[in-house]
Amino acid sequence: MRRLPLVLLTTALLVAACTVPQQRTDETLGKVAATPQEIDAVFERYATVRDTAARLLSPNPLSIIQTEAVLDIETGSFEMAQRLAASDPERDDPIDVQRTYTPRFGSYPLWFVAVVRDEGREVTRVQVFERAAAADPWLLIATPETVLDAELPDLRERDGAVVRVAADDDAGTGVSAQQAADDYAALLADPEAEVATTFAEDGFVEQVRAAAEQNRALEGVGFEQTWEAQEVRHAVRTSDGGTLAFVDLSRSDTYDVPDDVTVTWPEDSPQRAFIPEGLSTTGTLLYRHQVLMLIPVGDEPPRVIGQFGGVVGAEGF
Amino acid sequence: MRGLGWFLAALGALLLTVGVSAAVVLGPDSRFTTGPHPVDTSGTVVLTQPGVIGWRGLQVDVLVEVPADKPVFVGLGNSVDVTDYVAETQRLEVTSFQRPWDITTETVDGRPGLPGAPTALDWWIAGSAGLGGASISVTLPDETTSLAVVAVGATNLSGLEVTLAYGPRGGFAASLGVALLGAGVLLAGVVVLRGGAVTAGDEDDDLEVVEEIVYVVVDEHGVEREISAAEAEALGLVEDAEGDDEPVGTQAAPARMLDDDPERASRGGSDDGSLDGVLPDEPTPGPVDDPAPSVAPTSSVTTAPLVEEDVVYVVVDEDGVEREISTAELADYDLEEYELVDEDEESPR
Repeated sequence: MRRLPLVLLTTALLVAACTVPQQRTDETLGKVAATPQEIDAVFERYATVRDTAARLLSPNPLSIIQTEAVLDIETGSFEMAQRLAASDPERDDPIDVQRTYTPRFGSYPLWFVAVVRDEGREVTRVQVFERAAAADPWLLIATPETVLDAELPDLRERDGAVVRVAADDDAGTGVSAQQAADDYAALLADPEAEVATTFAEDGFVEQVRAAAEQNRALEGVGFEQTWEAQEVRHAVRTSDGGTLAFVDLSRSDTYDVPDDVTVTWPEDSPQRAFIPEGLSTTGTLLYRHQVLMLIPVGDEPPRVIGQFGGVVGAEGF
Repeated sequence: MRGLGWFLAALGALLLTVGVSAAVVLGPDSRFTTGPHPVDTSGTVVLTQPGVIGWRGLQVDVLVEVPADKPVFVGLGNSVDVTDYVAETQRLEVTSFQRPWDITTETVDGRPGLPGAPTALDWWIAGSAGLGGASISVTLPDETTSLAVVAVGATNLSGLEVTLAYGPRGGFAASLGVALLGAGVLLAGVVVLRGGAVTAGDEDDDLEVVEEIVYVVVDEHGVEREISAAEAEALGLVEDAEGDDEPVGTQAAPARMLDDDPERASRGGSDDGSLDGVLPDEPTPGPVDDPAPSVAPTSSVTTAPLVEEDVVYVVVDEDGVEREISTAELADYDLEEYELVDEDEESPR
C-alpha cells in the first residue's frame, strides 16, 4: 500500500513526459522517400494518366507520369499502336501494388521501388518511381518485367527504410552494380569479350543474340550492334547481402543496306512504326533496355531476372 | 513513515509550484507569444536553415503578414524538401534563433523566382497561403524541418512581419494537472505525517489500539446513557476504576465496551445521571413516554433476571398422575414424605 502513491506518481510523470516537447539531438537531414499515402497517390495518378493515354492512343500524357527510358520505350509502343490503329485494351487493366520499398535520402532525387502485378498481361514488374527535385512530380523511371521463374529476393531494411547500394559498392558481392552493368553490356555486344564478371545464362541474352544473328544473316546487308550501360542510379541491398540493381542499357542496330535492297520489318512490329518504308540506305535503330540484375553475395554469378525494352528512335535513313 | 511523509510533502509542494507557475506563464492558450517582428528582406523566400528548429512535439503557430494584401505563403516542411525547393532561388536564411526572438540571418544569392508555386507541392507538413497574411499551426515532428515564407506570384516579401507563438500542446491543462497532482501528493504527505505521529515506531504500519472504557447504562425506559468511570464507581458498577481495565457491573453480566460502536455510544449520554445499570447484551425495551428516572438498578442489569427462587410442588395422586400444586394448596395435603428434586436433573419435577 505504501508503494501505491509512488507508483501513481511515477506513472503520471511518465505519461506527462511523453507529451512534453523535447529538444531534438539528431539534426541530420533525411527523409523516407515517400509515405504509403504518397505512394497511393502516385499510383492513382499513374493509373489515371495511363488510362487517358490508352483511350487517346497517344503517348503525350505519358510524359507527366514517366520519364527517360520508360517514356521512350512506351512512346515507341504507343506510336506503333497509333500507326497500326490498334487499341491496347490491356493497358486498362488495373495493376496490383504488391509491395513497396522506400529508401531514406538526405537530398534529391528521391525514389522508391514497387512490385506490381499486371493481371491483364500476367506479368510482374519491379518499378522505380523517382522524384528528381522537390518541385517535380513522381515519375516512373524503370519498369522491368520479371522472368517467369524469377523469385524476387527480400530486401534489407533499416529503420523502416530499404537500404540503398552505391553503384560502385562491391562489398560482399565482389562486383559492383556499375561494373556488372558494364560487363553485361560488353557481353551483349560481343559474346567473346573478356570481362571480369561471369554471368549466369539468361533468356534475354539468348534472345538478343538470336536477333543479331538474324540481322547479320541478311544477304548483302551490313549489320552492327553496340551496347552501352548507363550510369546505375538505383540499386538496393538484398536481405542476404547481395545487390538488386536496375540497369539501363542503350543499344543501337546499324544497317548498311545496298542500293538495290530494302530492309523492312513486319507490319505489327515497333520497328515498322519508326521506319514505315523500310531501310534502303544506311540507318540505325535505337533501343533502350532495362534489366533487373541480381548480384548475389559470395561467388554466385550475377543474373538478370527482369527485362523491359524496345525501340525508341531511328536515324540516318 | 515520517520520511516518506516528508518526501511526499516536498515533492507535492514542488509539483504544485511548478504546475501553477507553468499554468500562469502559458496562459489558457498554452502559448508563449512573441511578435509581430519585422524581417528585413526584399526577396521572395525566407527560410530557417536545417537545425534551427531543434524541437519536436512543440506546438508552433506562425503568422506572417505582408503589406498591401500581397499573396504570401508560409509552410513547414522536411528540410530535404525545403532546401531543394529553394536551392536555386535568392533567399534570406535564418541561421539561428534564440527565444523569445533573437535571429541571425544570411542572404544567399540565386534566381529571383522559384521552380514552382509552393501551393502546388505535396510535401509540406503544414502550409497556408493568403492575401496580406497567412498562418499555420503545427506540432513539430521528429525530423529535421525548415520553416519557409514564400512570396507567391510576382511579389516579394518586403514589409514582412512574423508573429510566433509556441508551447506544448495542451500545456495549460497539463500544468493544471501537474498542480493538482502536486496538491494531491502534498496532501498525501501530510496525511502520512499526521498518521505517523500516532503510529510512530510501528514498522508494520498497523494502528495502535488505544483501549477506552465507556460505561453505558440503560435506564428503565431502555435509553442508553454513557456515564463516567467515577459515576460508574459511585454506583458500584466498578470494582477498581483505576487499576482494572475490565468493566465491572453490578452483576456478572458482561458490560460492553462501546468504543467501537460510536452510534451506540452517542445514544448513551445522560444529563441527570439517572442510571438503570450497565448495558445488557440485548437492548431493553421500555416505554418512551415516561422520562421519570428510577434508581432501582438491580433488576435490569442482569442477563439472568433476578427472581425469588420459586419452588414447584408436584404431587402424584393415587392414579399415578403427576400434578403441580401451589404453595397454598400444599397445606391441603398431608405430606408425610416428600422428595426434593433439583431442576437440573432430568427427572420430572
